[in-house]
Amino acid sequence: MKELLPQMDKITSRYEHKRAALLPVLHLVQEKEGLISPESEKEIAEYLGIPVVHVHEVVSFYHLFWQKPKGKCHFSVCQTTSCALLGGEEIIEHIQKRLGIKPGGTTPDGKFSLDVVECLGACEIAPMMQCNKEYVGFLNKKKIDELIEQNL
Amino acid sequence: MQKIVTRHFNQPDSHRLDFYLKDKGYEGARKALTQMTPAQVIDEIKKSNLRGLGGAGFATGMKWSFIPKDNPKPKYLVVNADEGEPGTFKDKYILEQDPHALLEGIIVTCYAIGSHKAYVYIRGEYLKSIERLQGAIDEAYKQGFLGKGIMGTSFDLDVVVHQGAGAYICGEETALLESLEGKKGFPRLKPPFPAVVGLFGCPTVINNVETLACVPPILVNGSEWFAKLGCEKNGGNRIFCVSGHVREPGIYELPAGTTLREIIYEHAGGIREGHQLKAVIPGGISAAVLTANEIDVKMDFDSLKAIGSMAGSGGIIVMDETTCLVWAAMVAARFFAHESCGQCSPCREGSGWVYRNVKRIYDGEGHPLDLQNLPGIVGNIGGNTICAFGDAVTMAVGSYVQKFRSEFESHIKEKKCDLTLNYAKTNH
Amino acid sequence: MPKLTIDGKAIEVPAGTTIIQAADKLGIDIPRYCYHPALPVAGNCRICMVEIEKQPKLQIACYTPVANGMVVHTNSPKTLEARKSVLEFLLVNHPVDCPVCDQSGECKLQDYYMEHGQYNSRLADVKVKKEKKAFSIGPTVMLDQERCILCTRCVRFADNITKTYEFGVFDRGDHSQLDVVSGKQLDNNYSGNVVDICPVGALTDKDFRFKCRVWYLSQAKSVCPGCSMGCNITVEWDKSRPHTHKKARVMRLKPRLNPNVNDYWMCDVGRYDYHFIDENRILSPQYKDELVSWPQAIETIAQTIKLLKDSNRMDKIGVLASAKLTNEDLFVIRKLFKESLNVSQVDFRVPEPPGHSDDFLIKADKNPNTAGAQAILQQSSADAQQIIQKARQGDMDLLYVFGHDLVKLFGKDTVEQISKKVKLFVFQGSNVNDTCGYAHLILPSAVYAEKDGTFTNCKERVQRIWPAFAPLGESKGDWEILSLLAGKLGISFNYKKSEETFKELTQKIGAFSEMTYEKMADQGMALKK
Repeated sequence: MKELLPQMDKITSRYEHKRAALLPVLHLVQEKEGLISPESEKEIAEYLGIPVVHVHEVVSFYHLFWQKPKGKCHFSVCQTTSCALLGGEEIIEHIQKRLGIKPGGTTPDGKFSLDVVECLGACEIAPMMQCNKEYVGFLNKKKIDELIEQNL
Repeated sequence: MQKIVTRHFNQPDSHRLDFYLKDKGYEGARKALTQMTPAQVIDEIKKSNLRGLGGAGFATGMKWSFIPKDNPKPKYLVVNADEGEPGTFKDKYILEQDPHALLEGIIVTCYAIGSHKAYVYIRGEYLKSIERLQGAIDEAYKQGFLGKGIMGTSFDLDVVVHQGAGAYICGEETALLESLEGKKGFPRLKPPFPAVVGLFGCPTVINNVETLACVPPILVNGSEWFAKLGCEKNGGNRIFCVSGHVREPGIYELPAGTTLREIIYEHAGGIREGHQLKAVIPGGISAAVLTANEIDVKMDFDSLKAIGSMAGSGGIIVMDETTCLVWAAMVAARFFAHESCGQCSPCREGSGWVYRNVKRIYDGEGHPLDLQNLPGIVGNIGGNTICAFGDAVTMAVGSYVQKFRSEFESHIKEKKCDLTLNYAKTNH
Repeated sequence: MPKLTIDGKAIEVPAGTTIIQAADKLGIDIPRYCYHPALPVAGNCRICMVEIEKQPKLQIACYTPVANGMVVHTNSPKTLEARKSVLEFLLVNHPVDCPVCDQSGECKLQDYYMEHGQYNSRLADVKVKKEKKAFSIGPTVMLDQERCILCTRCVRFADNITKTYEFGVFDRGDHSQLDVVSGKQLDNNYSGNVVDICPVGALTDKDFRFKCRVWYLSQAKSVCPGCSMGCNITVEWDKSRPHTHKKARVMRLKPRLNPNVNDYWMCDVGRYDYHFIDENRILSPQYKDELVSWPQAIETIAQTIKLLKDSNRMDKIGVLASAKLTNEDLFVIRKLFKESLNVSQVDFRVPEPPGHSDDFLIKADKNPNTAGAQAILQQSSADAQQIIQKARQGDMDLLYVFGHDLVKLFGKDTVEQISKKVKLFVFQGSNVNDTCGYAHLILPSAVYAEKDGTFTNCKERVQRIWPAFAPLGESKGDWEILSLLAGKLGISFNYKKSEETFKELTQKIGAFSEMTYEKMADQGMALKK
């Protein structure tokens, strides 16, 4: 984590209180390491001068912080009303079948992972998901198959 | 009809400063900073009848006036870009396609409340929004619209983008403050309210993205103009988000007093081919569901409140006759169960219990006693919690049981669902 | 100051007082889980909601400040309904472990459920399972995450009182779990207190686990004898089933509220150090390895003293009193040895290395009554070291030691020598230690939990201890033993009870003047300057 210190210092300087930089610092560390490990929690706690337990509380509370690494291609599929009305449940089932994993799981080769999430704020392109950083909408089984092929 | 907050959408490079400057960009801010006092700005916004467009519908000018003038602590403006209310996706467009409108609104607001620091809390998944807004902020700093002595005045202002991390409850303003301070999104006990004790214990105003984007046009064109566009006590237009079983889901900027029927049938293309309207959620998942008979209601805050629902975030979710409303209740209950922060007992235990209960009924394992007990159980959550999330569970889930009781009864009696959602008939 | 009415009773309280605080002053017990007077307000359990006239919504009493003219109802139909709903919600996922849960009988879920007549459940759904059930989180405490109602009292305790930050609530919604952060244990000096404040059986004491049902327990108010802090405690002992627990009587100690001393807390050392009350006790008088009767034992000492008196050699008597004795015991030592017998070599200051201390409740002086010993025994013509020195050299005929382990303090050689050289080496104590083997005469005395008396703590606060039960075996209270000895010497101490001893003490020693047991009650009184 030492290499990230200059960036962490820059982030922390934007806030009136060091502790407020916790979320952006966690995003930064996860971007680099793919997850937040217990060691990272300790280092971040020390850096910000807060107890480790408070860092772990934050990591476990927010869904975008991962304690286990996700696949290279991570699907976050929406299951809330608008997406569900337009076939979201079927999409989720199809992905599970194709990849052989359940929500929360990762394929053994580490290539794909699946999370089922609540509304991502893109109901106009329902049914949709977030694939790594991109929002992908108007999903159907064909599109899912294509996406999986592309990322094999 | 004149478009205000969506006037720049769908044009190439609309997010850039040179584009924004071509259409009276930053003139409202300049007018406020150089020709008006903070008190005059607040007054102007009050007269415009601008109301919070994040969901609560609180009169914006009045909210600004709650900031104590004699408090020596620094003041903060926090922009609520956590857009998490299911059915809502409008702020995303403003952030991606017209971020300078938001920035200009931030400048005016900060001037009005005496704040020199604004935080924009954007939901963690909105990566493009974060990128676009940060780009606009960088442009604004270069141009002298942010930083020390902006626009040649002595007013300093800094804006920081803060990325959220996946928790709907952080859209609640005090939970947002907690999250901004580096903690779990646990809503705070109130009073004190953020205007007195907010971010870092200092007086704070929290406003929605769309609300702030309305501010510069009000300054440029006048409060009277804005007020006239809407209806009594609810000025201006607002962006309605339509999704679900309509032909043309998307955002539609319309006067606040437009009827729900007009929005669905005259703007969003009506119900998808070969189907009929059955139910509508008018203002995000927290709003009580409406039957097909109730869609002549005007979509302003007061009219929807009068019929027992809410205008909320303007997220309209349309359901046609293929939809099982027990299933829809279950989806809503599941949302609340997943997003409950867990701080207080009624919501923490109640939201999970209600979900399991409704799911059991949907799965055909319900008992007549369930229907007897469910309204009471759902009703015990709202009114007894730390924040309005509990009220939303009661209002929203309760409305399905109340208005579509026969479907619950049939699930319990028949032990199965009569309706199946026909996925093959989606438009895409 | 605002005046308000709660359930028809009027009260005037300082501005800023919350409704629950005002109600407590009136003796109206509004149900509460997350509220604790010593911890910051959390307002998350919602069970303390009350109805305030002219306000449409119920408000939580722990957070709402009183206002002048406020009219509060804590048992109106609306309030009771809300309260029952909270109780119902809390039992949705709470395992009904009562038959195997230590908290049974002192559980706030049970108590409020019974008080509010919640007998029938309408739950037809599965309960949420949590990760850690019956899980050790440290040397002293067990955690059951499923029983936890997430009131966060323990979290606020670790954050604000001990500032050790062990606890957190992880995840969210009804999957929230209380836990210690991984890699850490609940291992501070005050860990036992979280068991006291946990309203349910989520945090339970390992030491007390499955030991005794609480409805078999009796209580006696006392003061911890572990150090000079004098934390107020309650000794809890099993009155009904002595055939279990291998004849041990005391089951546990609990802290007792005293805002002037320890507030609601006590340290772990004091809390768990009660086994000596029942274990390793000296049960009968012994003379030279043979059991003797009390009259025989007393006669032995009396004879030695008479000889020394007749030959005017009272300087051959050395008394090692102890700061572990009560004020009453010490007063009788003074009265008998110093005043009646003119023995000037009476000291209590043995060379103990100072123990661990902190800036909260733990004091380096591991004696409960140093201040009392100081005020009562005052000066000695020879200090403890000198007395021992003389004894070692054979310059002492009668060495009377109150409980000290001389082997530990002065070494085995010294005590061997003393045993050889001193004519009569008397050891009066409650528990067996290495010194007993070297003493000529062993007198069994009572422990603090068997005494009626007072201790004076490091802040010069005199505090009462009550006896939980009679002295074990043939042991007797220290001053009672000395009274018997006095009687044999023709000096009559006609004390029938400790209160009489104390009364005389207050008449003789200025710092204690005008004190009475009644005035002291169970919260103590400061010595006069």
